[in-house]
Amino acid sequence: MVATYLRRAYTSFLAHVVDIPPRLLALLLFLILLVFPVTNPKFSFMLLLSLANLSAIFSASWDLQVGRTGLMSLGHALFFGIGGYGAAMLIVFWGFPAWAAIASSALIGALVALAIGYPCLRVKGPYLSLVTMALPLIATGVVFYFKDVTGGERGLFGFPRLFPFLPYAQQFLAEYYFTLLLLFACGIALYKTANSGTGIVFISILDDEVASKACGINTTRYKLTSFSISAFFATLAGAVWVHLLSAANISLLTLTTSFLPIIATIWGGIGTIYGPIAAAYILQIVDRYVLNEVFPIETHWHMIIFLVVVIIVIIFWGRGLARFVTDKLDDLTEERNLDERGPHIWKKYKKKKA
Amino acid sequence: MEEIQKEEGLTMHLLEVENLTKRFGGLVAVDNVSFHVDEGEVVGLIGPNGAGKTTLFNLISGFIKPDSGTVKFKGKNIIGLPPHKIVNIGIARTFQVVRPFRHLPVIANVIVSLKSPRGNRKIEWLKTPERKALDMLEDVGLTELMLEPAENVGHGDLKRLEMARALATEPDVLLLDEPFGGLNPLETDFLMKSIQRVHLDEPTRGIVIVEHKLYALMRIVKKVIVFHFGAKIAEGTPEEIAKNKKVIEVYMGKE
Repeated sequence: MVATYLRRAYTSFLAHVVDIPPRLLALLLFLILLVFPVTNPKFSFMLLLSLANLSAIFSASWDLQVGRTGLMSLGHALFFGIGGYGAAMLIVFWGFPAWAAIASSALIGALVALAIGYPCLRVKGPYLSLVTMALPLIATGVVFYFKDVTGGERGLFGFPRLFPFLPYAQQFLAEYYFTLLLLFACGIALYKTANSGTGIVFISILDDEVASKACGINTTRYKLTSFSISAFFATLAGAVWVHLLSAANISLLTLTTSFLPIIATIWGGIGTIYGPIAAAYILQIVDRYVLNEVFPIETHWHMIIFLVVVIIVIIFWGRGLARFVTDKLDDLTEERNLDERGPHIWKKYKKKKA
Repeated sequence: MEEIQKEEGLTMHLLEVENLTKRFGGLVAVDNVSFHVDEGEVVGLIGPNGAGKTTLFNLISGFIKPDSGTVKFKGKNIIGLPPHKIVNIGIARTFQVVRPFRHLPVIANVIVSLKSPRGNRKIEWLKTPERKALDMLEDVGLTELMLEPAENVGHGDLKRLEMARALATEPDVLLLDEPFGGLNPLETDFLMKSIQRVHLDEPTRGIVIVEHKLYALMRIVKKVIVFHFGAKIAEGTPEEIAKNKKVIEVYMGKE
């Protein structure tokens, strides 16, 4: 009984992961990250990778909403901030345990998205971008106004770490594994959603909303669904983020935070879900390690460099990093399949072409 | 006799348009139009460019709201319902300019329709949405292109895809907006046969066709309605319309 089940799981694993080169590559990268701590890196580097995991979730959630549904939001930091401040406030004022605070703030984020989305999603295109861009600014104003609750400019701090029972040296390791597994779970959840039947409807809204309505689709409902799923994962990332830094402050709601998923998604390939995850990783490592320790450059320059690269990528390489890699892998497999089928004429043709 | 029945509400047309009017600024796009479609009837709407045929479709399918008048479907007024609800009670339409979902493969374009409440309800017992979508593509002859992204598909095939997408919800009234527009004679012939087959498959379905290619249209329809400057100027069988003086004047000009 168990053996049959295991065999079936194994064949399904072979068919759905190993046989598809891009997925195999993703699995290998995940395994590399899983064994990475054996190199015994510094605590600061482990923290950096944990933050990279969270920003990857954040970027992938933006991609579901924008790359797959076409709801061009420029204020995704709102949900990151709601996650951060929500979790912090639940812990500081109501004494929630860390896990309950993270889970409930993610749910709060999704509910807020429903409440905000209903009026906001009536506008379309560039107007939606402008409306969503205003939302984190409004939230910033609210944070400064209610100084007693939110801590104003100083922010909220002094809440326990995620794994307070572990010795100091192992806490970073535990947090790294927690965020990595969270990224794995959220990444698969987002990818599955994007490629499910609901995901097909999301793409139909992106392509042509009028035609989607003519197919009998309640586009408002699907747009709200996409918006709140995206908000759920962004809020989740924000709630864990403040635990890693032990502080919730106004930087969660800045324009820079809103631009982080945008940069990652455009580098990685919009609408792929896995592209932004990879790009967010690279972005965080370049931002916090390469440009900080290897080639130290002043922090203000980082954003300028990234945005210039974004402009270059948009102009010359619009399909992004992930699609470039998968195209290369597809070319390889195509050759392999031709070899298996065995028409040698094709091989000659390929060589001639090269 | 008919009037007496009408007063008592005994006869019920499938789709009934009454005194429908729509103005765009000073222009009267649809001017006090009334007509009806019965079960199993194939109706052709013809008229010169700008006669208000597409506006009429947009009014029936809920994309724009009329200034006055009613559209009744099975005796119920459907004015004011949003477009997706109108599809879900059984009126599906196609577009004059093709509107495919360009990122999706052809079969997924049809699956979108099957994700709507009505489309989902109409999937036969023990059938997957994919199987049902494939059947729909078979009806219009697109099975070979099913995995091709819609952006790579030619215009003639996209016209057929539009029809497959509308048919997937199994509508009681099918509104076809220039189904033969931009097709070559071979494709026109093929699509004409598919429409006839669709009509035979579901004999109670009403079909309304807006078309300029009269030679194709006249062979399919049983009733023709002629529009000119938003107003209905003639109604009758294809033979009657071909002899109608007013219609000849509109199309050919006065002697």
